[in-house]
Amino acid sequence: MADHVVARVDELPDGERRIVRAGKLEIGVFNVRGRYYALPNVCAHQFGPLCEGRITGTLVAREETNWSRAWVQEGEILICPWHALEYDLTTGRCLAYPKVKLRQYPVRVEGDQIVVSV
Amino acid sequence: MVTETARRLRLSDVLVVDVDVHVNDVPGALAPYCEMPWRRSLEHLVGVPARYLDIPGYAPALKLDPPFPGGFNLRSVNTAAQMAEELAAISVDIGILFPDHLLLMAQLPNEEYAAALARAYNRWLAEEWLHEPPLYGALLAAPQDPADAAREIARYADNPKVVAVYLPTSGVYPLWGHRKYDPIFAAAQEAGLPVMLHSVSAVTPAFPFNIDQFDTAMARHTVSHCFAMMANMIDMVTTGVPVRFPDLKIAFTEAGISWVPFMMWRLDKEYNESRRDIPFLEDKPSTYIKKMYFSTQPVEEPENGRDLVAMMQIFDGENQVLFASDWPHHDFDHPRQVFDLPLSPEARRKVMGENALKLFKIPAPAKVDGRVRWD
Repeated sequence: MADHVVARVDELPDGERRIVRAGKLEIGVFNVRGRYYALPNVCAHQFGPLCEGRITGTLVAREETNWSRAWVQEGEILICPWHALEYDLTTGRCLAYPKVKLRQYPVRVEGDQIVVSV
Repeated sequence: MVTETARRLRLSDVLVVDVDVHVNDVPGALAPYCEMPWRRSLEHLVGVPARYLDIPGYAPALKLDPPFPGGFNLRSVNTAAQMAEELAAISVDIGILFPDHLLLMAQLPNEEYAAALARAYNRWLAEEWLHEPPLYGALLAAPQDPADAAREIARYADNPKVVAVYLPTSGVYPLWGHRKYDPIFAAAQEAGLPVMLHSVSAVTPAFPFNIDQFDTAMARHTVSHCFAMMANMIDMVTTGVPVRFPDLKIAFTEAGISWVPFMMWRLDKEYNESRRDIPFLEDKPSTYIKKMYFSTQPVEEPENGRDLVAMMQIFDGENQVLFASDWPHHDFDHPRQVFDLPLSPEARRKVMGENALKLFKIPAPAKVDGRVRWD
């Protein structure tokens, strides 16, 4: 594991992202309501630049919603700019394919720096 | 010494369950089973010359095609005894009954009349057909009145010879994925009865039956069953029927089987970018399609039967495909056509009958010397 500085804390406010190079990899680091999450900048579908996508919420329809559509997870869903596959930023899980889960990298704050370990 | 070849499975060795055979449900036959005032309507229809799947006010069909020069192979089955005898003659041991004319009943606009016809058909079926040991029935569910259809399902749930719910699909509007049909799906799931979609050629404005542009009857018939199955499968999957009713078994009939891999892959492709549009699903569409059932007729006749077997493997066809003849209709398949596909002996037994026995919870009758003894 090697540490990579992502940004100063004040450079990555809530709802924002930074894409950093870590050796051969590109890693997207996201601030979701004060917590940091890091994912590879590669979609599991056709390897599009996932972390450049829109950050939004999503729709669910379950028995609890009487099978009507409900808007959930505002700010936690990342949508691939190529084919719009959705990922849960907080877990790395692909919403369309329960078995697909992206690798998550640990992120920590050291002083005023955000650091990702890859 | 008995060789492998000599011991090869023969058609008479396997139990053949035919999941799609048709009874001739003319208005005069149903009239005594129909409530007033609609019994009067059926009696008025007795004098109307009945053409094949074309009776005004009963089996409405916009027939655009000229009578085929030289005629058309027309057969009908009018009694249970005739059906039992004819099925035995084509090596079918058990048959699941569907109507002839009421294949078109989804197009009837009058809700009360449609529901009364469904009740009359179901009574007629139970009382005049199902006493023959080889004959089992699919209950007719009128899409015009889902609440009444649900009551019919509950009414016959304990009849051991009623083993499925038939969903009329020709010209049905809206398609079968609409929430208005939930009472039918709930009742079928509760009763443990599979629902079976069955179409027939028709020309109506309801998609996908606006097929008047084709020059020929053959062109219309090429698409009328399989487009109907495709449209309704798309609708049912994208509105989440298999998620909302996880124990409901869904079967598609009379469209062959080679369209199924196309639908799986087409829906899965769309799902990549449109999961949010159909948030009912918990996994890709093909996951649900692989749990559905498909009857063989009109079975494809590729130059190489192995190609069809390979297609079946894409959707777990060994466990999900059901033999159907469509007897006595013009395009029926003899069981040999499916039996002779290059399937493993185990898969052959399943497709020809065991899958259907399991789906319909029919007790397996013993077959001795190539015949089922029903006594």
